[in-house]
Amino acid sequence: MDAFQNLLMGFAVALTPQNIMFAFLGSVLGTLIGVLPGVGPVAGVAMLIPLTFQMTPTGAIIMLTALFYGTQYGGTITSVLLNVPGEAASAITCLDGYQMAKQGRGGAALAIAAIGSFIGGTIATVALVLAAGPLTRLSLEFGPVEFFALIILGISLLMGLAGKSMIKALMMGVFGLLLAMVGMDPVRGMPRFTFGRMELMDGIGFVPVIMGLFGLAEILVNAEKQFAQVFIAKMSSLIPTRKDIRDSVWPILRGSAIGTLLGLVPGMTGSASSFLSYIAERKVSKHPEQFGTGRIEGVAGPETANNAHANGAIIPLFTLGIPASPTVAVIMGAFMMHGLIPGPFLFKEHPAVAWGVIASFYVGNVILLILNLPLVGIWVKILKVPYGLLFGVILAFMVVGAYSISNSTFDVMVMTLFGVIGYILRKLDFPLAPVVLTLILGPLMERSLRQSLEMSQGDIRIFLESPIAMVLLILAALFMIAPTFKFFRRGKGILSGKEGA
Amino acid sequence: MGGLSLVWLVQVSGSKGSLPDTVFLPERLGLGRILSTIAALVAMAGFMNLLGFQLTMFLFLIFLLLVLGRQGILVTLIVALLGSAGVYHMFGRFLDVPLPAATIKFLANLGL
Repeated sequence: MDAFQNLLMGFAVALTPQNIMFAFLGSVLGTLIGVLPGVGPVAGVAMLIPLTFQMTPTGAIIMLTALFYGTQYGGTITSVLLNVPGEAASAITCLDGYQMAKQGRGGAALAIAAIGSFIGGTIATVALVLAAGPLTRLSLEFGPVEFFALIILGISLLMGLAGKSMIKALMMGVFGLLLAMVGMDPVRGMPRFTFGRMELMDGIGFVPVIMGLFGLAEILVNAEKQFAQVFIAKMSSLIPTRKDIRDSVWPILRGSAIGTLLGLVPGMTGSASSFLSYIAERKVSKHPEQFGTGRIEGVAGPETANNAHANGAIIPLFTLGIPASPTVAVIMGAFMMHGLIPGPFLFKEHPAVAWGVIASFYVGNVILLILNLPLVGIWVKILKVPYGLLFGVILAFMVVGAYSISNSTFDVMVMTLFGVIGYILRKLDFPLAPVVLTLILGPLMERSLRQSLEMSQGDIRIFLESPIAMVLLILAALFMIAPTFKFFRRGKGILSGKEGA
Repeated sequence: MGGLSLVWLVQVSGSKGSLPDTVFLPERLGLGRILSTIAALVAMAGFMNLLGFQLTMFLFLIFLLLVLGRQGILVTLIVALLGSAGVYHMFGRFLDVPLPAATIKFLANLGL
């Protein structure tokens, strides 16, 4: 068992005191970000990247991935107790979770959600361990031609699913590509779109752009309303009844399968998984009419699914080097900032990093279970901090984060500018996920395109000569034209969640 | 991008007057809060190298918490002090991220 041995090696890395501390730190910060209104996982991960500069690459990635799946746990707390989803993937949990809280069963809902999330996350990680070998071997066959086609497929899947309008999604994708082109031409070494500014020679930093588009824009949207104090439903005993546990077993298993499988598909968001799981539970239930009145299945299924999704979404990144969602794209950016390229070569060249991070998922899930069950009271207390205070602290943290990327106030200005752009785009209902994906994948996409064209001396037919590239490009084309068909549009309504995860 | 914008324009013009359910411009107070937040961020970036991180962040937090967030004076002062001097020393000492000191001699002599 090659995978098993590698995983054991991974545990040797993940269980060092230093890396356990990073997983703990990531889990705490992730839960905090999930709990706080207005900071989603995308902005949260981007905001904390500067903190990882002094860490080892393994420690940094362990912390950021723990932070990512930690947000899924945190989002549940606000959904159940406040009827306000901390992040989009937990939105559906409000329906039954808040009803349970009103009936005095909020503690049981949170406990089942935490246990379900733990099981879902663990099952998805097992899937990652099993898929790592075969998928990595397959992707080692990929040259620049196939890699370019794979990126095109990933991006077109995201376009097909993002938001209501394909045109808007395409516009945002092109916008991200344009931003990615700023800086030095990778082949000719000439500056592009720099307007003579030295700061733009290395390109626009993706961290300030994402902090602006996702973090600051959200704060500006919230600033429209008067900051109000939140009302929290009363907490009850955390111990679920025997019936609760019995009713949750199958929803948790189904949610794990749905989340892991959808996590694999580029463009699917965590909310798509939780929505599908909720629909599945209602379909198989003997009492579908009771959903929305406080059924435990309505909490167990979706909460398991969104956590399995978060862990499952890491699979394409680790095996193929393609991020499946905006947050994973930001994690990919963090890999690159630490001099690592995620994908099949990571297992070959840095096995300790790759397997160490995978093993840390188990560690992180155990930490989150411990953090979320006995310590849920502390998170509830944080919810009582007034937003008028929180928003100032979050803004201050964003300024420090943006500044510390390259010790320059220029990045603070970039973040502010993209905050305004993000605010306007949100108001016009433009999806922001495609910008992140193309901004981060842009340089890789350009490199593989230009390498391919150099190999063929400029002949574009090289993409038609590779059977793998052909299949990938045909699939990409199908996904782009699919929204014109009615049946696909109907399904898309369910699958396209809001930004996040 | 231009081509896509044109397609979008045609698409929007062709749709039968279905106005979005949210109003684009927020009410006056909300707009004021948004513009003040943006102005505070621009001022922060503009003055940070001149006045130093500690003083600019202190003023930035005072403005955000006291004026926009309507917090009490004591809470504001504690958070502003921790967020400015506290963060300056924490980032400088533990994270090796030197935040800018004031370039005005008088302020620099005060350790800001």
